Amino acid sequence: MTVCLEQERPSARMWPMQESELVERAKRGDLDCFNQLVEAYQRQVYNLCLRMLSRPHDAEDVTQIAFISAFKGLGKFRGGSFRAWLFRIAANACRDELRLRLRRPAASLDAIPLDLEVDRRALSPEDYAASQELGQAIGAALAALPADQRLAVILRDIMGLEYAEIAQATASSLGTVKSRISRGRERLRDLLREHVELSQ
Amino acid sequence: MTSSENTWNFLSSHFVIIVRDMFGRKSECQQLRAMLSPYIDGELGSPEKTRVERHIEECDACRRELEALRATVGLLRRVPQVAPPRSFTVAARAPRRHPAWGAMRAATAVAVLVLAFVFIGDALNFIGAGPVEDKSTRQQAAATETPVPEPAGGLLGEGGVNEDDLAVDEDWGGTRSLRNVELGLAGVVVVLGGATAVMWLRLRREREKEAEALVREKGGTRE
Repeated sequence: MTVCLEQERPSARMWPMQESELVERAKRGDLDCFNQLVEAYQRQVYNLCLRMLSRPHDAEDVTQIAFISAFKGLGKFRGGSFRAWLFRIAANACRDELRLRLRRPAASLDAIPLDLEVDRRALSPEDYAASQELGQAIGAALAALPADQRLAVILRDIMGLEYAEIAQATASSLGTVKSRISRGRERLRDLLREHVELSQ
Repeated sequence: MTSSENTWNFLSSHFVIIVRDMFGRKSECQQLRAMLSPYIDGELGSPEKTRVERHIEECDACRRELEALRATVGLLRRVPQVAPPRSFTVAARAPRRHPAWGAMRAATAVAVLVLAFVFIGDALNFIGAGPVEDKSTRQQAAATETPVPEPAGGLLGEGGVNEDDLAVDEDWGGTRSLRNVELGLAGVVVVLGGATAVMWLRLRREREKEAEALVREKGGTRE
C-alpha cells in the first residue's frame, strides 16, 4: 500500500487528484493527501476563524485545532461538500473558543480593526483613513451579531457560500439559514447605517 | 338618494378599502421584508421573485430597504480574504497505537484472570480436593488388599505412619505443583504487565512530544 502510494505520488503532483480521491486516501490515513486538502482550504478556514473571532492569534490557533480535529474525525465524513464539513468543524472550534472567552471576559474587548481591500497608493490619506474607519466599523458590527447570525453572514457575504452549503456547514435547515442571513444583514444595516447611506 | 346617503356610502366603502390597504399592505411589507435577502442572493423561486419585484415597484419603503440591504452586502463584500500567516498542514501523524498494544493488554488481562481463578480455587480447596480423594481411596484400597495384617502392632503402626507419610508427600506434591503454576502465572502477569506499562509510558511520551512540537510550531501558547 505504502509502496503503491510512493509510486503514485510524482504523478499526483503533476495531475492533482480529485478532491474526493484525496479525501478517500486521507481517510485511509494518508497524511500527504490530507495535507493537500489542508493547503487547498487553509486560507478559507483561517479567514472564517478570523472573522468569527476577530483576533489573528486566536484564529491561527483555532484553525490548527480545526485541521487536527478534521484529520482525527475524517472517518465521520459521509460525503457531501468537504468544504462545508471542514467549515462546520472550524465553526464548532470557534464556538468553543468564544465559550472560553465568556469565562475570561477581560480579554474579550480587544477586537482588532478589520482592514478593507484597498490600494493605499490610489487613495488620498483622507480616503484611506475613511476606509480604515469603515473596516473598524464592520469588524465591530460583525462582533456585535449573535454568533449564529454572524456565522451565516460571514459564510454568505465574505466567504461566498451558497445557502445549501451554509445549511450543511451549520447543520441547520435552509429556512433557518435564510432567516439568520436576513436578520443578520438587517442588524448590520442598522449598525452600519451611516456607512450604508454613504455607499448608496 | 340624498346627498348625505351618498356621502355615507362613499365613506363607508372607502373606509373598508383604506383599512384593508393599511393592514393588508403592512403585512405584505412584513412578509416581503423577509424575502429581500434571499432575493438579493437569487435564492427565491420565480413566483416569490415576481411578487417581490411587483411589490417594490409600488412600495417606496421596501425599495429603500432593499437598497440599504444591497449596500450592506456591498460593504461586507469589501472585506478581503487575508493570507494565512503560516501553513496549517498537519506536521506529524498522530501517534498510533502500537499494533501489539491491544494484544498485550488482552493477554495481561487473561493472565490476571487465570491467576485469580487458580488462586481462589486453591484458597477454597477446589483444586486441592483431587489429591485428598486419591489419598483416601488409596488407603481404602490398601486396606482391602491387605486383609490379614501382620500381628505386630508396631509394624502396623509403622505401616500406617508410612502410608500417611506417603499420602502427605503426594498431597504436598500436588500443592507444590499448583504453587508452581501460580508462581509461573504470576511471573507471566509481571512480565506482560511490565511490557504493557512500558508501551503505555512510551505512547504517552510520544503524545506529549507531539503536543510540545505543536505548541512550538504555533510559535505561541494558548492560555
